[in-house]
Amino acid sequence: MNGDELIRSARFRKEREADWQRLEQLVLAAENRGLQHMEFAETRDLASLYRQATTSLAIAREISLDKALLGYLEALTARAYLCVYAPQQRLGGLIERFFTKSAPQAMRRSWLYILLGFLCMALGAFAGYLLYFENNDWFYVFMPEELSGGRGPDATTESLLDSIYGHDTGTSGLGAFATYLFSHNTRIAIFVFGLGVFACAPAILLTFYNGLMLGAFVAVHIDRGLGPDIAGWLSVHGVTELSAICIACGGGLQLGAALLFPGDRTRAEALRHAGRDAVKLALVAAIMLVAAALLEGFARQLVNDTGTRLILGWGIGALWLAWFTLAGRERT
Amino acid sequence: MLRRWREKRGARPSPDTLMPPEGVPLTLPIAGVGVRLAAQITDIVITSIAAICLLILLLVINLTSPQTIVAVGALLFFLIRVPYYICAELAWNGQTLGKRLMKIKVVSHDGGPLTAHALVLRNMMKEAEVFLPGTLLLTLNAATPAESLISLGWILMALLIPVFNRYRRRLGDMMAGTHVIHLPVPVLLKDLASEAPLPAQNAKKIIFLAHQLDHYGAFELQTLESLLRSQDKITSPAAAKQQQATIEAIVEKIRKKIGYADPVPPADRLRFLRAFYNAQRKHLEQRQLFGDKRENKHYAQSSEEA
Repeated sequence: MNGDELIRSARFRKEREADWQRLEQLVLAAENRGLQHMEFAETRDLASLYRQATTSLAIAREISLDKALLGYLEALTARAYLCVYAPQQRLGGLIERFFTKSAPQAMRRSWLYILLGFLCMALGAFAGYLLYFENNDWFYVFMPEELSGGRGPDATTESLLDSIYGHDTGTSGLGAFATYLFSHNTRIAIFVFGLGVFACAPAILLTFYNGLMLGAFVAVHIDRGLGPDIAGWLSVHGVTELSAICIACGGGLQLGAALLFPGDRTRAEALRHAGRDAVKLALVAAIMLVAAALLEGFARQLVNDTGTRLILGWGIGALWLAWFTLAGRERT
Repeated sequence: MLRRWREKRGARPSPDTLMPPEGVPLTLPIAGVGVRLAAQITDIVITSIAAICLLILLLVINLTSPQTIVAVGALLFFLIRVPYYICAELAWNGQTLGKRLMKIKVVSHDGGPLTAHALVLRNMMKEAEVFLPGTLLLTLNAATPAESLISLGWILMALLIPVFNRYRRRLGDMMAGTHVIHLPVPVLLKDLASEAPLPAQNAKKIIFLAHQLDHYGAFELQTLESLLRSQDKITSPAAAKQQQATIEAIVEKIRKKIGYADPVPPADRLRFLRAFYNAQRKHLEQRQLFGDKRENKHYAQSSEEA
């Protein structure tokens, strides 16, 4: 059958078919190898052939009733569009950029929310502390049985001291690390971040409750005159771990605030905007929690002197603070 | 009421279309909840297999004891799972292994490139949306019905959010500004109209007159196209026999409708259909060029109404 006998849309297809097939090959190459690894001529052809194909699609929609041709062109142009306009981003320097710039900058930008997180925790601790001295039984209200591990108003001073300085765990290092990471505080941190989306309230409540437990727990020890000892015991990991919870709470609050007060944006848009910093806060909290679990699982068993414990805990805390405040500043 | 609601819905552009800078709307079909669930389950199986292998390795070289096996196992699963989703989607530009298997892909909601930030965010929210209540549900028991119910409700909510929005986005997708599409697969079938006609031994050429081609529209033409394309795929004799009966019925129906007087012998049926397809397509495409678009065989009535 020669060209004259073909109907118009078949001629249209015959003239362009070779270009489409070349575009199909280029799209496959771009998806498999990535645009960065393609020849100059290939990427140039990809862009120009993609534009030709969109034109062909527009014409084919008007003149052709061949379902197979229309389906092919729809799929081909959509695939080529993704290659041309949504290519793979460069991944080099991603981690470095996070640590040196974007994370500390995000921390500084959302200082208000983080401050709110710390405030919730501190208020909770204060309330717990005062309530304990009002009536010892409050301790049992706040503290779940399995978390206190027998340490309470009824425990003897010796047993409290023993749990502070003793080698209380018989498990191996890795097992202890895992248990600590999945211990209470990590779960709280994930919860306060995830629940922040639901209009702030759950995140604030959880952080406050966590503060209550902390306050009551500290009060038990101060009641027995063990103030410095418990401070050292808590400082080793607590400075890092409790800060991580407050930072996670800050991230959650940011999301919740975007949902409650979206301003001029729509709620989904405000959520997306807030998510930019909140996700970095959550990543920072995760890194801090892993560090805290390392400290709790290994360092606390090795260091048994209150002074050293205090220096270790607060020194690491100062390092975190230095990272957040000093890193990634633009030179002016 | 319902009708007005439908009209309002119809006014919005379909979620499947995307307008590129070239100004030609493209089709990127949204992936449904089912296929995404399947991809998710595939990924969970892959990561849990990796975690179990590592756990057995740790047990063999005595790095962990049976008392802490659950905690270590949970930790391993967590430590493999979180980087797996993020790294896989970063490396394959929005596809994990499960998504590659199901031929779906994450794309940015505005059609631009996927940023690392968006991929990290959508996968971290997956942790809060799916895995956290999931593990809670597994660890809780009948002794704590309230907590079980809450986590069950949480999972249900996380699953229902995608069902109730047009782009099938879960919470993490909304926050990251992404949605998931079916990756279209371009398959170029041959053009029926440009194929060489079946060998016709001194049979006369089948010719249709213009008024005979005024009965059908594009829908009927494309249905005929599907039928003719399915000719090559038939293998079993039973199916071939059934196909013969279908073709006979169709040929008779077309003949009656368009008033084609000459009888079509059984050997010529397929040739008749192909010739009719070519002539009908040529005619319809020509009408379309003149601005007379015929959707289906009721085109005459619908144009009167309008």
